[in-house]
Amino acid sequence: MHDSPKFKIPLGPQHPALKEPASFSVALKGEKILGVEIRLGYNHRGIEKACEDRTYTQDIYLIERVCGICSHSHSTCFIQAVEELAGLAVPKRALYMRTLIGELERIHSHLLWLGVAGHEIGFDTLLMYTWRDREVVMDLLAELTGNRVNYGINTIGGVRRDITPAQIKKTLKAMDILEERTKYYIEVASQETTLIERLSGIGVVLPEDALRLDAVGPTARASGIARDVRRDDPYAAYGDISFDVITDNHNDVYGRTLVRVKELLESYKIVRQVVEKMEAGPITVKAPRKIPAGEAISRYEAPRGEDAHYVKSNGTEKPERVKVRAPTLANVQVVKHMLKDRYLADMSIVIAAIDPCFSCTDRSIEINNLDNKKTKVITWETLHTQGIAWHRKHGIDFTSLNKRLKARIK
Amino acid sequence: MSIITRTVTWARIKSPWILHFNTGACNACDIEIIAALTPRYDLERFGVQLKATPRHADILVCSGPVTRQIESRLKRIYEQMASPKFVVAVGTCACGGGVFNGCYNVKGGIDQVLPVSAYIPGCPASPKAIMDGVVKLLNSLKE
Amino acid sequence: MNATEKIKDTLAKRFSALADAIQMPRERRLALTVPFADFPAVFDYAVKELKFSHLITITGLDEPEVFGLIYHLAHDNGVVLNLRTSVDKKNPTVKTVTSYFPGAEIYERELVDLFGVKVEGLQAGNRYPLTDEWPVGEYPLRKDWKADKQEKHHA
Repeated sequence: MHDSPKFKIPLGPQHPALKEPASFSVALKGEKILGVEIRLGYNHRGIEKACEDRTYTQDIYLIERVCGICSHSHSTCFIQAVEELAGLAVPKRALYMRTLIGELERIHSHLLWLGVAGHEIGFDTLLMYTWRDREVVMDLLAELTGNRVNYGINTIGGVRRDITPAQIKKTLKAMDILEERTKYYIEVASQETTLIERLSGIGVVLPEDALRLDAVGPTARASGIARDVRRDDPYAAYGDISFDVITDNHNDVYGRTLVRVKELLESYKIVRQVVEKMEAGPITVKAPRKIPAGEAISRYEAPRGEDAHYVKSNGTEKPERVKVRAPTLANVQVVKHMLKDRYLADMSIVIAAIDPCFSCTDRSIEINNLDNKKTKVITWETLHTQGIAWHRKHGIDFTSLNKRLKARIK
Repeated sequence: MSIITRTVTWARIKSPWILHFNTGACNACDIEIIAALTPRYDLERFGVQLKATPRHADILVCSGPVTRQIESRLKRIYEQMASPKFVVAVGTCACGGGVFNGCYNVKGGIDQVLPVSAYIPGCPASPKAIMDGVVKLLNSLKE
Repeated sequence: MNATEKIKDTLAKRFSALADAIQMPRERRLALTVPFADFPAVFDYAVKELKFSHLITITGLDEPEVFGLIYHLAHDNGVVLNLRTSVDKKNPTVKTVTSYFPGAEIYERELVDLFGVKVEGLQAGNRYPLTDEWPVGEYPLRKDWKADKQEKHHA
C-alpha cells in the first residue's frame, strides 16, 4: 500500500521500443490455428470506479455508455438494481416503455450484426440491405426517445418519455415493414448455398461445452442452450408477454445467424404485444436521492446475451460499488475453444459471430508460425481480406450473389 | 439541403481517403460513422473513401476517449500516415473525453495525443453531423 | 413452496450452522455470507448438488480489514445465489474456481488487477484489464486509491 493519497500515472512519450500487446495471439501450424490468446482491456475506461464518485442519476449516463450499441440494456439493468434497493414500485406503463425500447434496441443490434457478418465474409450487399432496413428502427428510436443511439429514456423510478397514439401507429407500421424484410433475410439464410456453406461447421461449440464455458445469448442458444433472461428471470414487462426463446442445433456460426434472424421476428411480436397491452397510467414514480443501504443484482437479456449489474448502496446518493458484467466478457472466453484446430481464414467471422461488444476492426493480430518459427503482426483488415481470398480459392465466392442482390436493392 | 449544394465544389478537391480508428469508444460513434457510408447518407458521394491502412489514408477519423492501452497504437498509426494528414475527432469523447473524463484509464480526448483538425461533437455524433464535419474540413483544405 | 424457497431449504438442511444466514431478499434471489474456511464446501455443494450451473461473475469489494468476494451463481430456473466470503487484506489469497467454471478466469484476473487479490491456481496468461506498464502495487478499485484529476497531459 502506498501513502500518497493521489496516484500520478506515468505520462510522457511512450518508449518506441515498447511493444503494445496484440489483441489476438495466434499459434499457427500450416493453415490451422492451434491456439489463441486474447488480450482485452483496450477499451477499459475505469467506469466502475467512476460510478462510486458520482450520484446514481449521473451514473445512468455513464452506464449507458459502457456500450453504445446496447446502451438501453446497460441503463435498464443498472436502474433495476437501484430501484430494487430503493424499494420502488415502478409503474407498469414505464416497464412497458422500457420493454419496447429494449426490443427496438435488439432489432437495431441484430440487423447491425447481420450486416457486419455479411461484410466479414465478403457478402457486402447484405450490409447495404440490413443497414438500410435498420434505418427504419433508428428513425423510430429517434422519434420515441430523441436520439438514434444512447436513448436516455430511463430515470430512477420510470422513464422520461411517454409514447403517443400517433407514435404507436408508426411503431406498428415499422414492425410490418421490418417483418417483411426479415422474412427475406430468412429466405436468403436458408436458401443461398454460398452463405450456408461459408458459415457452416465453423466456430463449433457443442452444447456441453457451451454450458461448461458459460456461453450466453444467441451464442449459447445456437448450441441448443435455452438460456434467456427474459424468460428465466423476467424483468420489465416480460412476465406479461408471450414469446419464444429461439434455439438452434447447428452449434456453429450458421446457427448463430439463424438464431439472430429468427429473434428479430420474435421482437416484432413482442413490440406489437407491448403497444397493444400498454395501459394508461403514470410513467414514473418519485425516487429518493439517497438509496437505502443494501445489495442487489440485476440481469437483463441484451442483444448479445446476459448482462448483469451488481449494486451496493450505503444510504448516500452515491453507490458504494457498481459491478458490470457485459455479455461479451462471458462469450469472448468461448472464442478460444471455437478457434482451436480451425482455419485462420475463419477467424474473423467466428469472432464476429459472438457479436463482440468491442470494435474488432482496429485490433492487431500476432501470428506465431510454428512451422518457420516466425512471428508477424497483421491488422484485422488483413485477416479479413485474406480470409475472403482463401475461401474464394476454395470455391466460396460472393461476387455473383452480391451482383444479383445489388440489382434488387431499391 | 446545404450539404448537397456544396457537392459541386467538392468535385474539385482530391477525394480524401479516410481511416477509421476506435480509441476506446463505446461503439456508438463507430456505428454512426459506418452509417454515414451506407446508401442513406452516402458519404462516398463526396469522394470520401474508407481505407484500411494508415499508409493510404489522408484523414484519420477517431472515435472514443483515448485509453491508456490504445495510446501507443494511435500514435503509431498517425506516424504511418503520409503527410499531409489530418485528424478528425468524432463524438464528444474524442473531442474531450466526454462522460469518461476523470476515469482512471482515460487520458482524455484525441487532442491529448494527436493534433486534431476538426471536432465533431455529439453523443454519438449523428451521420449528418459527421458528414457536415468532414465536408467542413475538406472546405478548409481547399483554402 | 417456490423454487427459491426450495433451494433455500435444501441449502439450510445441508449446512445447518449457516441456515440462519441465508437471506431471500426477493423471489429468485438468495444471499449467503460464509466464513472463508467454509467457502470451498458450500461452493462445491451449490454447483455440484444444487446445480447452480452458471457463474455470472465475481464481484470484489474493498471493505474495512477484508476484501469481500461475491460469487454470483445462477440456476437454470432463474434463481441467483450470491455466495459471499471475505479474505484478510494482509494476505488476500483465494483459490481459483476455474476447475468448476473455466470462464471464471477473466473475473479472477479482474480481482488480481483491480484489488491486488492473489488467486492460487490461475494459469499463466494475459492480465486483465490493465496495461503491462501499469505500476505494481497500484490497485484502482481499492477505496484509498484515487487517480490524480489534475494530471497535465503532453501530446
